[in-house]
Amino acid sequence: MKKLLSFLLVLGTLLVLAACGSSNSSEEEPAETSGDETETASNEVNLYTARHYDVDDELYKKFEEETGIKVNLIKGEADELLERIKREGDATQADLFLTADAGRLHRAKEDGILQSVSSDVLDEQIPANFQDEDQMWYGLTKRARVIMYDKEKVDPSELSTYEALTEDEWAGRVLIRSSENIYNQSLLASFIELNGEEEAKEWAAGMVENFARDPEGGDRDQAKAIAAGVGDVAIMNTYYFGQMLNSEDPEEVKVAESLDVFFPNQDTTGTHVNVSGAGVVKSAKNQENAIKLLEFLSAPEAQETFASVNYEYPVNEAVEPSELLQSWGDFKEQDISMSALGENNAKAILLFNEVGWK
Amino acid sequence: MQRRLANFNIWTVGAVVIILMLFLPNLTIVTGFFTPSNDNWEHMKEFVLRQFVINSLILTLATAFFTILIGLSLAWLIAQYDFPFRRFLKWALILPLSIPPFIGAYTYHGILNFTGAVQTTLREGFGMELDPAYFDIMNLPGAIFIYTMFLYPYVYTITQVYLSEQSASLIESTRLLGKGPWRTFFQVVLPISRISIIAGASLVVLEVLNDYGVVKYYGIQTFTTAIFQSWFGLGDLDTSIKLAASLMGFVIIILLIEKLLRGRRQYSYFSTKVRPLQLIPLSGWKGFAAAGYGMLILSLGFFIPVIQLIDWTILTFGTIPMEEFLRYVQNSVFVAGLSATLIVILALIVGNFARMVQGKYTKLLPKLTVLGYSIPGAVIAVAVVTAFVALDGYLAPVYMAIGLETTLVLSVSIVLLLAAYIIRFFAIGYNSIETGYDKIGTNFRDASRLLGAGPTKTFFKVDVPMMKGAIISGFILVFIDVLKEIPLTLILRPFNFDTLSTKAFQYASDEKIMEASQASLLIVGISALAIVIFYKILEKEMD
Amino acid sequence: MFVAIEDVSFSYPNTQAPALDRFTLDIKKGEVISILGRSGSGKSTILRLLAGLERPKNGRLVIQDETLFDDKTFLQPEKRGIGMVFQDYALFPHMTVAANIMFGLSGMKKADKKRRMHEMLELVELEEYEKRYPHQLSGGQQQRVAIARAIAPNPHLILLDEPFSNLDAELQGKIRKDLREILKKANITSIFVTHDEKDAHILADRIVKLKDGKMDFVGRPCDMLDTFRQEAIAESEEVLKSQPVVNV
Repeated sequence: MKKLLSFLLVLGTLLVLAACGSSNSSEEEPAETSGDETETASNEVNLYTARHYDVDDELYKKFEEETGIKVNLIKGEADELLERIKREGDATQADLFLTADAGRLHRAKEDGILQSVSSDVLDEQIPANFQDEDQMWYGLTKRARVIMYDKEKVDPSELSTYEALTEDEWAGRVLIRSSENIYNQSLLASFIELNGEEEAKEWAAGMVENFARDPEGGDRDQAKAIAAGVGDVAIMNTYYFGQMLNSEDPEEVKVAESLDVFFPNQDTTGTHVNVSGAGVVKSAKNQENAIKLLEFLSAPEAQETFASVNYEYPVNEAVEPSELLQSWGDFKEQDISMSALGENNAKAILLFNEVGWK
Repeated sequence: MQRRLANFNIWTVGAVVIILMLFLPNLTIVTGFFTPSNDNWEHMKEFVLRQFVINSLILTLATAFFTILIGLSLAWLIAQYDFPFRRFLKWALILPLSIPPFIGAYTYHGILNFTGAVQTTLREGFGMELDPAYFDIMNLPGAIFIYTMFLYPYVYTITQVYLSEQSASLIESTRLLGKGPWRTFFQVVLPISRISIIAGASLVVLEVLNDYGVVKYYGIQTFTTAIFQSWFGLGDLDTSIKLAASLMGFVIIILLIEKLLRGRRQYSYFSTKVRPLQLIPLSGWKGFAAAGYGMLILSLGFFIPVIQLIDWTILTFGTIPMEEFLRYVQNSVFVAGLSATLIVILALIVGNFARMVQGKYTKLLPKLTVLGYSIPGAVIAVAVVTAFVALDGYLAPVYMAIGLETTLVLSVSIVLLLAAYIIRFFAIGYNSIETGYDKIGTNFRDASRLLGAGPTKTFFKVDVPMMKGAIISGFILVFIDVLKEIPLTLILRPFNFDTLSTKAFQYASDEKIMEASQASLLIVGISALAIVIFYKILEKEMD
Repeated sequence: MFVAIEDVSFSYPNTQAPALDRFTLDIKKGEVISILGRSGSGKSTILRLLAGLERPKNGRLVIQDETLFDDKTFLQPEKRGIGMVFQDYALFPHMTVAANIMFGLSGMKKADKKRRMHEMLELVELEEYEKRYPHQLSGGQQQRVAIARAIAPNPHLILLDEPFSNLDAELQGKIRKDLREILKKANITSIFVTHDEKDAHILADRIVKLKDGKMDFVGRPCDMLDTFRQEAIAESEEVLKSQPVVNV
C-alpha cells in the first residue's frame, strides 16, 4: 500500500513540476515579445486557425524558414476561437484569425475583433471581390459547392441549376448533408442574397421534398451514398471529391471514379463559391508579421500548394488551378460579395429550421 | 444540524472553497437562464425544440437502459460465476472505455458504409448487393448503439467492484434460502448494487447529454444541437446559454432523483468480515454462453473498431512523422495524468466533507460540482475563459510587480486548460470516490479518532488506504476521459500544444477518418495500457 | 468522582422526542458500568455522546477534573482519551493486528510502541497473531484485538458497544469472563452497552437501565433482581385483583 501511495505522490509531484515548467515556458514566450506593437523586430506571429489541414502546417514551416518569424498556433473550431478572442479582449495574444468560411470572417468583423490592414502586395495578389470591402479580411482559397452525379444513371444534360433539383423528377434522388453544416448555411445564404428570402425558402423546402434520405454524414458520405444507389445526385464541395480520387483506400477511389462534377447555374447566377480567409486581429501585438504571413499565403508559391495538395482553387489569379481542377473545366462563379454569406447566415439557419431540413 | 457539525476544521473549509470554485463558472450559465428571451429563443421553441428534446430523451433513456443491462449483467457474471476467459474478461471488459465515442462513431460508419469492409466484402466476395439502408448506422438507434458500446464500462466497473467487495454472505445466504440465480439477482443483487448502478448510469447519461461529436456526425438533432445552433449559427450566445441552463436544470432533476433513489439507506460494509465471494463454476454450455456473451460485447466495443483502426493505420502509415507523435503522446499523458491526480485529491476532500456534514441540503452541496459534466464542453470553455480573463485582471498588478509586460498570464497558460478539465471531469472522479466513502462508512473513521488520530491523520492512514480501489478507478476514469477530450482541449490549449485527441479530431472533422486512425489508435493504446497497469496494481493490492 | 455525567440530553435532527433525556451518572475509577435497554432506548447514543461523535444538546461531562463538554467546551474525540470497542469492532482491514493496536500509540518511541503492543497482546492472549490481518481471525479473536487496541493508549474510560452481539453463544460465555478479567486487571473504568441482562449481571459492578431515553433504574445487579421481583409481584397482584372473584 505504501508503495502505491508513494508512487502516486511521486507521480503527482513530477506532474506538478512539469506543469510549472511548461506553463512557465508558455508565459515567457509572449512576455518576451509583447509590447512590440509597432516594431518589426519581434520574431513571431500568433495564429488562431480553424483550418486543420496538414498542408497549412507545411506552409507555416516554410514561412518560418524564409522569414525567421515563428508561427504559434492554436487550432480550433471557428466559432469557439472567435468567442475566445472576444473574451480575451484587448489583451488577446491572437494576431491573425484564419477560418474556412466567409460567413465566419464576416462575423469576426461584425464582432469588432478585426482591423483594417492594407498592403500593395495583398492588393496585387488577391482580387477585390475576395477581399473584405473594408479590408478587414482577405480570402486565401476558394472552394466551389457543386452537383456530383452518378455517371451511369444521370446524363449531365439533365442537370442545370441548384433550383432544378427541387423539381418533381428528382424526388427521392437528391443527397446533401445536414443544415448544421456551415457550407450548406452559406449556400442558402447566397440564395437569400441572390433571389430573396421567399425563393430561398422555397428552394430549401423543395430540396427537403426530394431528399433521398434524411441528411447524415459529411460531404464524402453523400458521394458514397450515390455509389451505394441511395440517390443519384449530391451537393458537395469540390475538394472532397479531389481527396477521394486520391484516397489511400482503393474503395473510395472506386466510388469517386463512378462520379463526375457538374457546375450548376452556369447560365444563370453562377456556382456557389466560398472562401477560406484570414483577418488581422484588432489588438494584434505582431501586426506586421501577421500581414507578412497573409502576403506569404497569397503568394504564388503557397497558392500552388493549396491548389495541388488540398484541391482548393487559388484566389491569386496568377496561379493556375491544379491539373485535376482544370480537368473539371472553368466555371462561372456567383457574383456576390462574400460578406453577404455572413450577413444572411442567421436567416439561413432559421429558414432551414422552418422547412424542417435536419 | 449545526450542533451536529462536530468536525468543523480545515478540511471543511477546504471542501467548501473547492465546491464554490468548481461551481462558480457554472454560475454564469445559471444566471443566463433568467435573461429575457429573444426572437431566436421563440423561433427555437416554435420550430425545433420539441423534436430536439424528444431525441435527447430517447437517446439518454435508451442508452441508460442498455448500458445498465449490459454493464450490470456482465458485472454480475464476473463477480459471481467462474467460466472460461473470466479472468481476462474481468479487466478487458473495461477496454471499450478507451475508445472515444466520436471515434467509435466514425469507425463503425467506416466499417458499415458503402466502401467499408462489410459491404465491400459482401459485394465483391459474394456478389451480394444489399440495400445500403440495412447498413446505415447514422441514425438514432445507431447512436444509441455507439453510446452503449463505448459507455457501458461506466456501469460495469463501478458495479463489478462493488459486487466483488460486497459482503459475500448476503448473496450466499440468499442462495441458501433456496432462491435461484434469477431471484437472487433481482431480489438481492439489484437492490444492493443500486447505488453503484445509479452512479454509473448517471455518468453515462451526463456523457450522452454533453457529447456533440457523435450526434453531429450522425446528423441527429439533440438538445446540444440547439445550443450550438443558436450560438454558432445565430451568433446568439444568450439563447444558447439559456438552453444550456435548461439542460442544467434537467441534470439537477436527475441528480435529485438519484439522491432520492439512494435514499437514507447506506450499504456500507460492516466490519472486517469482507471475504471474497466464492465463485460458482458454470460448466458446459452455460460456461461457454457466459464467455461468449462477454466476448461478443468486448468485440463490438473494442476488437472490431480497433482492428479497423489498425487497418487504416497501415493504409496511411508514414504520413505523419513519428517524432511529432511522440510529442502528442507526451502532451496527452501529461495533461491527463496531472488533471486526474488533481481531481482525485479534490474529490477526496469534497467527499470527506459530504460524509461528515449532516443535513439534507448540505449533503446536496457537493452534488453541485458535477454540473460541469452535463454541459457541452464548448459552453464550459466560454465560462472558464471569462473567469480566467477576469482573474488575470485582478492579478495584473502582481504581473507588473514581477516585471511581466502582458496582462494575460493564467488565461494563456496550461493552467486554464487544467482548470477546465477539473470543472468538467470532477464528477467522474467524485462519483468513484463517493462510492468509496459510502462503502467504508464512518465507523473506521470514528474508531481512528477515538484512538487519538486527528482528522488529517485519519484521512491519510485510514480513509485513503481503505479506498484505494475507488481512488484508482477514479484516477483511471478521469485519465482516460481527459485523453479522449475534445472541445475543451481544442479551444483552451496554449499555443502550439497538440494532443492525440486534437490531432485525431483535426483529421476526423475534415472527413479524413483514415488519417485520424493513427492518433486514435494511440489514444486507445494508452488508455488500454492505463487500464491494464492500474488493474494489475489493484489486483496485487487486493491479494 | 472519577467520571461525572450530568444532565446530558440529546435528540436527533428532525425528530421531536429526545433520544436521551437528562442522563446523569457518576462513576468510580475502575468501575464497570452496564447500560441495559432495548434497541432504540438510547443506549448507544450515550456512548457516541461520551466519545464525542455526537454533540449533546446540553449537559456536562467531566473526567478526572477535565471538562470534556459543557455549554462552552467541546473536546474533539481524538483529544478525549476515551477508548471505544465498536459493535462490529471496526478493525482497520488494511493493517495487521500489530498495526491496529499501535495505531493509537502516537508520540511514543517505536520500541515503546512495540513493547506496549506486546503487553496488550499478552493481556488478550493473542501473542501469536501479531502479523495476521483482521479477516484472518475468528470473531472472538477480532473482538479481543479490538479491546486491546482500545486499551493500548491507556484511556481514562473505555466504551464497549454490544460487545457480544457478534459472537456465538458458547464463545459469549467464555469471553464475558475474559473481558471482566481483562478490565479488572487493567483497572480501567468502563461502560458497556447491551440488551442482554445476563451480560450485565455477570460483567457489571452497576447497571443502568434505560427506557425511551430516560433512566429507569440504577443500581447493583442484585438490586435490579429485587426490583424486578417486586415489579413482577406487583404485576401479578394486579392480575389477581382484576380477576373476578367467584363466590362459591
